[in-house]
Amino acid sequence: MDWTYLLIVTVEIIFVIVALLGGFAYMTLVERKVIGRFQLRIGPNQAGPYALLQPIADAVKMIFKEEIIVSNADKVVYMLAPAISVGFALSAFAVVPFGPAVHLFGREIPLQIADVNIGVLYILAMGGIGTYGLVLAGWSSGNNYSLLGAMRTTAQMVSYELPMGIFVASVVLGAGTLTLNGIMSVQRPWYMWLWLWVAFPFYFTVMLAETNRSPFDFPETENELISGFQTEYGGIKFALFFMAEYINMITAAAVMTVVFFGGWRGPLAAQFPLLGIFYFVLKTFIILLLFLWVRASFPRLRYDQLMSFSWKLMLPISLIYLAGTAVLVVLV
Amino acid sequence: MLGQKTDFRQIPVDDIFNGERALATLMTVPYQADEAGEVESVQLLQARFPDSVLATEDFRDQQAVTVKADALLGVARFLRDEMGYDMLLDDTSYDRLNLGQEPRFVGVYELRSVRHNRQLRLLVPAPDDKRPVLPSLTKIWPTANWHEREAFDLMGIRYKGHPDLKRILMPDNWVGHPLRKDYDINREEVPFSVNWEAPEFENLGKQILEPVVPVMEIPDGMDHRHLVINMGPQHPSTHGVLRLIAELEGEKVVRVDPDLGYLHSGFEKQGENVRWKDFVYYTDRMDYLSSMSNNLGYVLAVETLLGIEVPPRAKALRVIMAELQRIASHLVALGTAVLDLSGTSMAFLMYAFRERELITDIFEMVSGGRLTLSYMRIGGLAADVPPAFDYKVRQVLEVMPSRIDEYERMLTDSVIFRGRTEGVGPLSAEDALALGVTGPMLRASGVPYDLRRVRPYCGYEQYDFDVVTETGCDVFSRYLVRVNEMRQSLRIIQQALDNLPAGPVNVDNRKVVPPPREELDHDMEALIHHFKLWTEGMKTPPGSIYHAVENPKGILGFFLVSDGSAHPYRLRVRGPSFVNLQALNRMASGQYVADLIASLGSVDIVLGEVDR
Repeated sequence: MDWTYLLIVTVEIIFVIVALLGGFAYMTLVERKVIGRFQLRIGPNQAGPYALLQPIADAVKMIFKEEIIVSNADKVVYMLAPAISVGFALSAFAVVPFGPAVHLFGREIPLQIADVNIGVLYILAMGGIGTYGLVLAGWSSGNNYSLLGAMRTTAQMVSYELPMGIFVASVVLGAGTLTLNGIMSVQRPWYMWLWLWVAFPFYFTVMLAETNRSPFDFPETENELISGFQTEYGGIKFALFFMAEYINMITAAAVMTVVFFGGWRGPLAAQFPLLGIFYFVLKTFIILLLFLWVRASFPRLRYDQLMSFSWKLMLPISLIYLAGTAVLVVLV
Repeated sequence: MLGQKTDFRQIPVDDIFNGERALATLMTVPYQADEAGEVESVQLLQARFPDSVLATEDFRDQQAVTVKADALLGVARFLRDEMGYDMLLDDTSYDRLNLGQEPRFVGVYELRSVRHNRQLRLLVPAPDDKRPVLPSLTKIWPTANWHEREAFDLMGIRYKGHPDLKRILMPDNWVGHPLRKDYDINREEVPFSVNWEAPEFENLGKQILEPVVPVMEIPDGMDHRHLVINMGPQHPSTHGVLRLIAELEGEKVVRVDPDLGYLHSGFEKQGENVRWKDFVYYTDRMDYLSSMSNNLGYVLAVETLLGIEVPPRAKALRVIMAELQRIASHLVALGTAVLDLSGTSMAFLMYAFRERELITDIFEMVSGGRLTLSYMRIGGLAADVPPAFDYKVRQVLEVMPSRIDEYERMLTDSVIFRGRTEGVGPLSAEDALALGVTGPMLRASGVPYDLRRVRPYCGYEQYDFDVVTETGCDVFSRYLVRVNEMRQSLRIIQQALDNLPAGPVNVDNRKVVPPPREELDHDMEALIHHFKLWTEGMKTPPGSIYHAVENPKGILGFFLVSDGSAHPYRLRVRGPSFVNLQALNRMASGQYVADLIASLGSVDIVLGEVDR
């Protein structure tokens, strides 16, 4: 390991963080526009052309809001919770390959921060720890609504992580590797691709729960819990939770792109690395639009219904899928 | 499967979401008013309680019986158990101080027999003027609970045997009872430039109040062993300034205690201080999502008191307006109920408001207003409709059926929506009747009680429509009832519009309706009538009547007492959402917090009417 390696990784990290933050900012704009159209509205259109300055206006507003810390709060944990949420959300992206290797300054630079050999486990772990941000926020706020939101987060995590883990295990079983790069590059016959795509709707549903998106957004549920775990958060701390949610969503979409749709691969992508990045962003964006489409179309489930749904429906399906994958792998 | 719509209601919902959903049986309600039975009830009552029945009255075909206070419980039990008066529609009171009658306070009980389609009013004088006490009817009809709290709050009558007699609309530390005739309505000084220097206003606007951390008071019967949460008055799902105190065991609701009065504006007291015609404008502000229906209820009540009937064109136009308003109100009810289930992200709310906009445009065209309409007048309408009215209403008739089908595709056929609503907020027909619940909520519990059918008013008997009922007794049934009622309303509008009679829209009675402007220039009589109407106002014959209409949210009742002057002596409003909200505790106990919100959404409250 030499210092240039460190430098390259640092530059990559900064690039990814900036891209994720920019992606988050403009994702909020896209969401407001798209949901607006679904709801027969126009959506934001005042700040700049096509409201392109809207995220900046939002950020400025959030930053300059008065810092309020409720007197009932456990101050250290209360301040720490948004940081945990957003920190682990950002970390999870580290193993996602977002483009082909580029040749610069006579070196081959992979467009992936860390190609660790347990990439899939790493993502599961980061997602799991990120949930603590929500739980701690709810617990430390000293508010009954936040507490209920935190309770729901815990129950929800227990319910959806099991089928999610089993689906991931099936994919790993099919690909025979734990690295995301390996899963992306593995050569499959056509029927294995079909079998893989069978899992996509289920995995997508589980990811809706993982990222706390509608119709599974119980930790906040504005209807009964006002804003759930983040009721007592305002200003930039609230924005951090918001950021974590969107970055989780982007990461989830990116992982789905890599696992199910070949990541950055596409015509001519290997020759032109920038084209690879473009394919990657495009695929991720289409999956993100699916998140929004679902959000505008369905009422929210009840929190106990998600648990029944996860345990009585998703878990058996995921187990059957795992068994099916094992049979296919052995036979073929 | 093109052109063939799957009826998902026939398919049992997956038990992934919910367990069994038992259907109740449909109750039979006779659609013929039993007026002979009402007279007979009075006679039977006299025969059974010869010493306790003080007087009987038959005014405008309404039977009223005056009963001694100490016999009230026996009489009520007799009426409920043996005469079939299963619903206490209203429980109120009035102060006879200025009528010169003794004793001063009278309790008024408006009874309905859903089973036999009868109505009867009990008047019960409270013996002691200084400390009026009446027996509480909460044991016989639980709906009396809030009504009696309101009478205690506003009139100062104590109810013996009431489980929780405390103020309901006014603040707890309020002094006096506003509806009493000797209550000084000018007691509170209001700052004007003339009295700005008065010592009361010394600190007005000149101080910044210290922030107070309120100690959360927990209602009687709740304690900190469970989690007690305070929903509202600022909460996304309480439909206004309603406060719900919910006791939770985990995520399950043990008890809910609604706290009302944040929007109390004293309409009843104001009504006593304006002329008959001027209260029309106040009715707009009660249930502000159905101004037309409120207008209709009030003008019909006054017309019943006057004994006049409006011309057929006015009747038909009133029906069209009331039914358009019903559609508009149900659209808001559906939109907000779905909003409660889905959060702000789901698109349904805006779909409902898109259709409501068409109706609001029609209202704007006829009355100039979009929310507070004041289109109806005692004796007719404010004006005839403009020529484009017919075209606009037909446009609504044309687009609405397909839009309603679209809603059904979005909601009725959605597994998640059904999972969230089926079996949620159960309210059996017995409970609904005992709690005085009316409107779509009652019909969703399998009781086809619709005043438009059982006591037709305003010419509803001419139209062909079905009383929509469902037997699921849950939030889903209430949703279905509302959706299908919109279809029935369209049918009524279609019939009324096709057979819209020509002719005047006001009665030809110069004591009630002012003469047309052009007559004033050459007709002395007209000028005198106009002058008298504007200086003295319209006078009504002395007497008291109760008139109820079927509003979108339930039965809106007006109890009017006239002393022969141009002002109402007592003007009581029975707001349907006030009474229906009382059933919330019954519906939500034992269910999840999320279901509490769904149940509240299915009540379809408007706080302007709940708090009045």
